[in-house]
Amino acid sequence: MTSFADPMALSYLSHLQCSGCGREFPHQEIHTFCPDCQSPLLSIYDLPGARQHVDRDEVSRRSKGMWRWHELLPVLNQENQIFLGEGDTPLLLLTRLQKEFGLSHLYVKDESSNPTGSFKARGLAAAISKAKELGVEKVIIPTAGNAGGAMAAYAARAGLKAHIFMPKDTPFANIEESRIAGAEVVLVDGLISDAAGMAGEKARTEGWFDVSTFKEPYRVEGKKVMGYELAESFGWELPDVIIYPTGGGTGLVGMWKAFDELEALGWLENVKRPRMVSVQADGCAPVVKAFQAKAAFCDFWTNAHTVASGLRVPKSFADQLILHDIYQSNGIALAVSDEAILEAQSHLAKKEGIFAAPEGAATLAALQELIRQNWLHPEERIVLFNTGSGLKYLDRSAA
Amino acid sequence: MTPSYNVLYIEDNPDNTMLVRRALEARGYKLLHSGTGINGVSMAEKEELGLILLDINLPDIDGYEVARRLRSSNKRELSTIPIIAITANALKGDAEKALNAGCDVYMSKPINIRELWARVEAFLPTP
Repeated sequence: MTSFADPMALSYLSHLQCSGCGREFPHQEIHTFCPDCQSPLLSIYDLPGARQHVDRDEVSRRSKGMWRWHELLPVLNQENQIFLGEGDTPLLLLTRLQKEFGLSHLYVKDESSNPTGSFKARGLAAAISKAKELGVEKVIIPTAGNAGGAMAAYAARAGLKAHIFMPKDTPFANIEESRIAGAEVVLVDGLISDAAGMAGEKARTEGWFDVSTFKEPYRVEGKKVMGYELAESFGWELPDVIIYPTGGGTGLVGMWKAFDELEALGWLENVKRPRMVSVQADGCAPVVKAFQAKAAFCDFWTNAHTVASGLRVPKSFADQLILHDIYQSNGIALAVSDEAILEAQSHLAKKEGIFAAPEGAATLAALQELIRQNWLHPEERIVLFNTGSGLKYLDRSAA
Repeated sequence: MTPSYNVLYIEDNPDNTMLVRRALEARGYKLLHSGTGINGVSMAEKEELGLILLDINLPDIDGYEVARRLRSSNKRELSTIPIIAITANALKGDAEKALNAGCDVYMSKPINIRELWARVEAFLPTP
């Protein structure tokens, strides 16, 4: 395919495309999700153009941070990039744990060093930056916790008004970090799905731009950079297994999109893909239930409960994408108990000095289960994802 | 007996109604519509239906009450007709309440069309 791309382009964003029906949309306008089939929209880049003009090794030499991948991110004007230091989180070898479990290459991608202490910073950095570029002045979000804090921070830095709906039992740190950044916070007697209903209604009636997971196209773009960073860290190869906690699923879908893009760019030394492991809590496991039934979408999970508040998502808006990517990767979805999560959280801290969020600790609990099931090969390169800092859940730890 | 491919959608939002009408008519179903709960129950008692789509937030009685009235109707078919609850403004336990009131499945808005097709076809195979 011939490309006429500008070799100096800040971004090679081409258009948006519906993940369900394939309808295309111009990226110069504000979009939420597909009005025809109500599926998430994804950003499509001129990858042949980028392949011709962007050098992966030059990208690696740039100053650290998410925006060094700007050609593959949706913001067109550098002054709209809202940067708080997100990205380039450490990939740590877990030497003591791998020895304990009889593994050779066990890593954790530790997202707790992102601004606001969680991986949510990546997605909200992209979404708020793009919202600013498109002239949005006020943003709204329903959140299980960390996304609210991240949105408040990035909105503050971008000069946008922020409104946040979160369950009333959201960790105290999330409530306070949102308020101190100037966001208007409403505590909801319910789950994130209840908060989503309220935020959606306010967005419709008062014109707030809703940055709910997958209800706008750009959060997933920030999250996908985790996939780029992994490939770069492994010498432009991909690990064999990625064990990832799944609430809304933006990170899992984003990384799989990143791997597609890296392959199209010709940047991978070996195109062998990782098996994606989706981890949920057994008190809220819609993806696991659907995976076990080989279904294309999830049922709404009733009576959702878990200590890992980020996993209390009764049904992701992107459930079809999540399941598609797990199936395509020959991966698996499994649920772990709250007891196993808390035990793993303690074990990870004692053995490796990492005080993980419960959602991150769930990946260690899942690893142990996968070892019991002989699903892993001891020589494989396995990456756990710690999505945030345990310090943000101290009220839970003390309870 | 040939099943009825009439689907009754009880929903007061015209945008959702248009979306669902377009989606289901594209698959050969006939969509009947009521904008209120009381009229929806009345239509269900008069018409031959294969399935009911039920919004929870209605301007008169709520969707739970609609489901209860349908299930206790003198028209025997309504005790077993598939009811899919669809709602946006979920309050705590909304899904559980919908299922307890007699709905078979709960869907949240926005209504994903591929999921809607699959849910409807699971009860009422495409004409």
